[in-house]
Amino acid sequence: MRKIKKQKIYLLALLLPFILFVIGFEIGPLVAMIKNSLYADDGITFSIDQYLTIFKSKFYLQAVKNSFIIAIFSAVVSVIVAVIVAYSFTKFSQKIQNRLLMIANMTSNFEGIPLSFSYIILLGNNGLFTLLFGKIGWDLFADFNLYSWTGLILVYVYFQIPLAVMLIYPSYQGVKKQWKEASSLLGGSKFSFWLRIGIPVLLPSIVGTFSILFANAMGAYATAYALVGSNYNLLSLQIASLVASDVTLKPQLGSALGVLLASTMIGAMWFNERMMRRIRRDLR
Amino acid sequence: MSYVTIDQVTKGYDNQVVLNNISLTLKKGEFATLLGQSGCGKSTLLRSIAGLEDVDVGSILIDGIDITNLSPRQREVGMVFQSYALFPNMNVYDNIAYGLKMKKVKDINARVKKMIEMVDLIGKEASYPHQLSGGQQQRVALARALVMEPKVLLLDEPLSALDAKIRKNLQKELKRIQKELDITTIFVTHDQEEAMTMSDRIFVMNKGIVVQSGSPSEIYTTPVNTFVAKFIGNYNVCSIEVFHKLVRNSELKGKEVAIRPEVLQLVSTDEDTSDLQDNWRIEGFIKDVSMTGNVLRYEVETVESAFHVDYLHHRGKMFEQGAHVQIIVPKNECIIL
Ligand SMILES: Nc1ncnc2c1ncn2[C@@H]1O[C@H](COP(=O)(O)OP(=O)(O)OP(=O)(O)O)[C@@H](O)[C@H]1O
Ligand SMILES: [Mg+2]
Repeated sequence: MRKIKKQKIYLLALLLPFILFVIGFEIGPLVAMIKNSLYADDGITFSIDQYLTIFKSKFYLQAVKNSFIIAIFSAVVSVIVAVIVAYSFTKFSQKIQNRLLMIANMTSNFEGIPLSFSYIILLGNNGLFTLLFGKIGWDLFADFNLYSWTGLILVYVYFQIPLAVMLIYPSYQGVKKQWKEASSLLGGSKFSFWLRIGIPVLLPSIVGTFSILFANAMGAYATAYALVGSNYNLLSLQIASLVASDVTLKPQLGSALGVLLASTMIGAMWFNERMMRRIRRDLR
Repeated sequence: MSYVTIDQVTKGYDNQVVLNNISLTLKKGEFATLLGQSGCGKSTLLRSIAGLEDVDVGSILIDGIDITNLSPRQREVGMVFQSYALFPNMNVYDNIAYGLKMKKVKDINARVKKMIEMVDLIGKEASYPHQLSGGQQQRVALARALVMEPKVLLLDEPLSALDAKIRKNLQKELKRIQKELDITTIFVTHDQEEAMTMSDRIFVMNKGIVVQSGSPSEIYTTPVNTFVAKFIGNYNVCSIEVFHKLVRNSELKGKEVAIRPEVLQLVSTDEDTSDLQDNWRIEGFIKDVSMTGNVLRYEVETVESAFHVDYLHHRGKMFEQGAHVQIIVPKNECIIL
């Protein structure tokens, strides 16, 4: 008995740095942010003015809405693409699968300012492809504007897909070959297998991936900043300009927007989980 | 006459032959067992019948129809996998109903209910596979296959993951259901006892070949070769030369002699056995005594080879380790291979 207790204490001691880290760098800032958001601009008076400002301001609500839409849209597209891509990965030999994963891994780390600049160089107004296609006479990109809504979505989807593939790929290992065989012996087609067994089995990881992608897109800042600067009204850009700009420094309002951002993410995750439990009733 | 015909089927992976020109036939309603050691190709043969593997050469017929090139969905065979392969996201009812839904039949509910009753799972309809015990999962897998009323039921070591007691129960139950539905069944196992208790007919396989087929008692009492003798009955097998030397007589001709351990008797060396006419006598000493439930197994070391002798275990005299004994070998129990 004593020995076990001792062991536990050692284990807890090993965990201590991690716990301190979480408190110091995750929970601490969160609490500070929430606290901050409950002060007036002077930073002394306690009030909910900041939230009122946001909900009265068309501008900020627009930012929330834009961020929300781009996050949902890019997450949905990426998840759908990733489900198909990850499945096709599983059809290759193990060696090739490893290579493909390596590529996905590398590209999933390719985001932020470098990614934006790559896009600007390739597809910007004076981008390589834009000019090239213009010369050739294809007006494929004539209507395309990288610094717009479409451009932003394109770039977001680009950095979301590899991440989604990385996250969804392992769950295909959980789809057992014998389920497919049993299904086919019972008269099920490939389609009905995926509809009734394959996708439901993958669902928890699809939903989890979706939540991560959603949060990833909601919080993405550098990519958007490099591409559209402050021309586009996104939540993350607004927060940045409120807490770090030279003109309108309003950290309390920024905090309130931050709280809103976090709540949206938590809300989305909660909603996802709920929806999943409805379909996968076997999961408790 | 024959309901299932497997005609000269050959299959290989890479450059290894797994099924080597296998032919066998089954009558309708028969319970047949493929028995053999791990890796001898039992599962491969079963999967070929199900259409989950293609055969290289040969054909498979069920009920007069050549199904060799049909897809699994068209073959009307049911299969139960060793790992059950239940759909984890569906409850018991939906697992069993899956095939019927795929076929879009009418009276799904009634048929599923009946099946649930048959496999004794009433009250578990809404449970999910992970909430069931191994034995219950096995029943669901069985019901899921049977509800389709397949022409042939294929069972790939369906009981091997279960513990001994549940296994015995399920063996009986499986047999009962099989009789009740009169369904032609091919059962795979590497457990000879299981094969003996359940089958109408056993096909003993070794390295991709069917080495012997017959009723359990045929196989047990008249093994055709050393492999079957050793695998099925734990026979004592020794070469004819050794046997001649041991019994100091060269009456028997052939290559090898096989003797079942339970037909042998032990008497102590000082006992007079000269009145035993139709027996051979071999001298030796008890090297080891072990007990497997109700059976007492002696390992008797002789000058040339060791013999196993089985006794039903009851109170009374027992030979100690190291005791010198004579093995009494009934002449008519010696099988020449
Ligand atoms: N997909 C495959 N690719 C290559 N070789 C295979 C494949 N499946 C089976 N084999 C080989 O075929 C042989 C027979 O396999 P099979 O699964 O039929 O054996 P088994 O009799 O069912 O054995 P067990 O009792 O262990 O299940 C084995 O040597 C195995 O290595
Ligand atoms: Mg097998």
